[in-house]
Amino acid sequence: MSTRELFTFRNPHFTVSVAVTVGLLLVTALVGFIVLPFAQRHETFAGVWDAICSAAGNPRVTQQGEAAPPPAKTSEAVLTSTTLAHPSQQSIGRGATLAQRCAICHGPTGISRADSPNLAGQYASVIYKQLLDFRSGARTNAVMSPFATNLSDQDIADLAAYYAYLPRLPAYHPEVQLPPTRIVVYGAPLRGIAPCGACHGSLDNKTGSPWLEGQSAAYIKAQLQAFASGQRHNDISEQMRNIARAMTPDEIEEAANYYASQPPEAIQRAD
Amino acid sequence: MLANRKLILAHFWLAFVVFGLALVLGAWQMFIRSPLHTWLSNPEWYYRSLTAHGTVMGYVFPTLVAMGFGYAISESALDQRLVGVRWAWVGFSLVVLGAVMAMVPVSLGWASVLYTFYPPLIGSPFYYIGVVLVVVGSWIWVALMSVNLYVWKQAHPGEPVPLAMFANVAGSYLWAWTAVGAALELLLQIIPVALGLKSTIDAGLARVFFSWTLHAIVYFWLIPSYIAYYTILPRAIGGKLYSDTMARIAFILFLVVAMPIGIHHTFADPQVGAGFKFVHSAFTALVAVPTLLTVFTICASVEIAARLRGGHGLFGWIAALPWQNPIMLAGTFSFIMLGFGGAGGLINMSYQLDSAIHNTQWITGHFHLIFGGAIVIMYFAIAYDLWPHLTGRELPSLRLMRTQLWLWFIGMIVTTFPWHWVGILGMPRRMAYYDYTSPALAADAVPVEVSTLGAAILLISGLLFLFILARAQAEPATDVPPYRFSEAVHPPASVPLALNSHGLWIALMIGLTIANYGYPIAVLTARSDSSVPAVYVGAQR
Amino acid sequence: MSAQESHDSADVAARVERRWATISVIIIVVMAIVAAFAGIHQVTMPQARVEIVDPSRLHLSGEFAEANLGSVAEQDGSVTVRAIGQQYSFTPACILVPAATPITLRATSADVIHGIIVQGTNINTMLVPGYVSNQAMRFDKTGDYVMPCQEFCSFGHEGMWGKVRVIDKADFAARAKNGGRLSCVGE
Repeated sequence: MSTRELFTFRNPHFTVSVAVTVGLLLVTALVGFIVLPFAQRHETFAGVWDAICSAAGNPRVTQQGEAAPPPAKTSEAVLTSTTLAHPSQQSIGRGATLAQRCAICHGPTGISRADSPNLAGQYASVIYKQLLDFRSGARTNAVMSPFATNLSDQDIADLAAYYAYLPRLPAYHPEVQLPPTRIVVYGAPLRGIAPCGACHGSLDNKTGSPWLEGQSAAYIKAQLQAFASGQRHNDISEQMRNIARAMTPDEIEEAANYYASQPPEAIQRAD
Repeated sequence: MLANRKLILAHFWLAFVVFGLALVLGAWQMFIRSPLHTWLSNPEWYYRSLTAHGTVMGYVFPTLVAMGFGYAISESALDQRLVGVRWAWVGFSLVVLGAVMAMVPVSLGWASVLYTFYPPLIGSPFYYIGVVLVVVGSWIWVALMSVNLYVWKQAHPGEPVPLAMFANVAGSYLWAWTAVGAALELLLQIIPVALGLKSTIDAGLARVFFSWTLHAIVYFWLIPSYIAYYTILPRAIGGKLYSDTMARIAFILFLVVAMPIGIHHTFADPQVGAGFKFVHSAFTALVAVPTLLTVFTICASVEIAARLRGGHGLFGWIAALPWQNPIMLAGTFSFIMLGFGGAGGLINMSYQLDSAIHNTQWITGHFHLIFGGAIVIMYFAIAYDLWPHLTGRELPSLRLMRTQLWLWFIGMIVTTFPWHWVGILGMPRRMAYYDYTSPALAADAVPVEVSTLGAAILLISGLLFLFILARAQAEPATDVPPYRFSEAVHPPASVPLALNSHGLWIALMIGLTIANYGYPIAVLTARSDSSVPAVYVGAQR
Repeated sequence: MSAQESHDSADVAARVERRWATISVIIIVVMAIVAAFAGIHQVTMPQARVEIVDPSRLHLSGEFAEANLGSVAEQDGSVTVRAIGQQYSFTPACILVPAATPITLRATSADVIHGIIVQGTNINTMLVPGYVSNQAMRFDKTGDYVMPCQEFCSFGHEGMWGKVRVIDKADFAARAKNGGRLSCVGE
């Protein structure tokens, strides 16, 4: 086959097809990049070149309007899926030393005898975020806040690494293991409630969300109520308040009792 | 001449077996999300099944059909033994290896990200690598089709390339180039993140890359069906093809304009400029041209067959058609579904109308009607037509085949029409369950139940299809005449160079793709601040 | 059939075919013109600009910080709604807007790809993390609309449903008087 015979303007197929293609491109580009942008009422362009660049999709970083001032302190933690993903042995060791002062409430093995949260084997990003929030004041608690105030960034990372490293042990207050209820397994889609496990570990983990198996029922209930009322508001962009507000008091009770009665084996070990 | 029957049969059998499995998953999904079933205790199962169904139906099944049919065309249309049989087996093995590698993590729930990938959700790297291997295997087929045509041309200088082979090679080039978009997305963006080499990814750029593949892949699925319209249907009903030239032009148009139109999938996306959306919208309209040409040519060819059989009158000839012939039936059903599906497609291609139905069940209905309906029913026809030549055994019962085709047609209509309707009502796709007790969704309940009935009919039809093919193996061996394709009413004595080769059209295809995709891709690639942290699916379980 | 007849019938065939091809092209051109016309006269065009934003820092400051999410009345009589999608809720979970008012929805995602569709309307946009979606809206009737997430966003996707409440224009104006960002959360 002779390429020279094919790709030449003497070949009518070549001439016509190239002319039609280029012509179509030009016409559609004219309409899409110049005529239509100026037909939009909402947008004003600095000129033809600005219209073309916008229509071509040149990205820009914008800030529209003045942001309203926050009524209360919210979380300043930045979490991604790689936050504290690979802690060093040194970090875990330093965390163990720091954790001695936590043992009084959270237990020497990270399992609380009271209604404080169990921390053993919790996701590192969870402990990291809550400590940051206690330190910044986004979350407040009469007992916890003073402890967090003087922690450095490194201290917080070390504590998170240490508790994540601890083995998951049975809690002190397991009762009979309860069957899951509707709100836990299915959520309530039209009220905007996804299954708890979609974030809290049994289906998948949304970075920053704790696994809950074996936590004290009183603690879970108190937190859900605090989220629902807005008294607790350190969840980034209302991700938990949105859910808790939509839950009925009965559903809060059921969810708290269900999770409190579950053994930690329900959540597999994070690696 | 079909010399490498084992190779071709291997492709078809694997294609249809995985099709059967994915069909079961599809029917199960429809049952799960219908009001007939209460909620699933683990929604992940639904998404896992959906990932498997989409991956098999989208990447594995049609690719294997195109490959197997492509080898059959190459041998019989060119009357030339397949060159590179060993490579063909290598390609087949890669597809098998890739499919297994992709489906194992999916089955284990490590990659429930759906077949569209959509990062920043990231699943197991093996899933993505498996998909890449499937594509690489099919690229070997592309190369073999090109080589076989080249060898034939050397031996037959200046002769018109048989239409079936011309179209087949056009389809293979289309696939080679179409797959590049998803391949770039997988290799440059997703796999490095899935392997942990990178932790951020540009989700918008990934969608642009994917749209490059996702639209034109439909035309790759479609080409075997169109080849069947042009080169099997007229012969099977005792007629001739109306026009060889128009057929070539239709396939050439697919090659050129199927590609640079995919951004209409991202009409509702924030990362693509409005100008490119309009350009792609206009070019999407253009892709209707080859289909309109095909409708004319095939209807005219069918009319010729009917008049040869003694049909007369303005429409009276329709009664004279061989309706007992499964190929005739399949072609008719395919055209009807193509008509409805195409009308729906015209709605999707316009930005204004698309906003009413974007990402709703309408879309699911649309591509099931086009792909599962119009295209797959022709895959059935191709299998029925080729099977005696591949196995050396007659398919025993025309009636059973007709029943199967009727069931598929009815099942597809019953499934997809209600989907279109609930899509207009605003029902989003891809959800593990719906609370139909809510007044906001109550109107969806009955149509969804009806569509579930359709799914059951489709499942029965699909299993019947496998049964018909399998039963043929038990028939006594007979002498089967050589496989041949339709002849044109006026067989071309010579064909202009441009219509007898693909070079010009490949150049236009690549040029148009660069014009329509080059800038949107380049401008996002150049920025690092549009990348976002990956979210690993099932990572901390 | 003689060579002459064959030649004639081939001519006829080609002529019919050309006519049909012409009709096909005309159909396509008309459709493209209709689309362009609708774009100009109904002003239903895709968003005009591509804007970038960092999804993991949305909550720290700026347009999509928590305190700034919700509806705000603008000087020109229009309303701007700012919202985010995240696994697995929209914030605000209930969007409050006035009827018969031009509204601009500015929204983005804090994590993965989501989508917003307001059932019973043409309001339908993707939320792609890293980019800001901008959609013009207008509601003629008051009432409640459901607003599901329309793109798979992982295993809680089926539970991601928001709401839009359209209230009377005067009611909205009265509520907007005190400034701040409005929503119907908790109502």
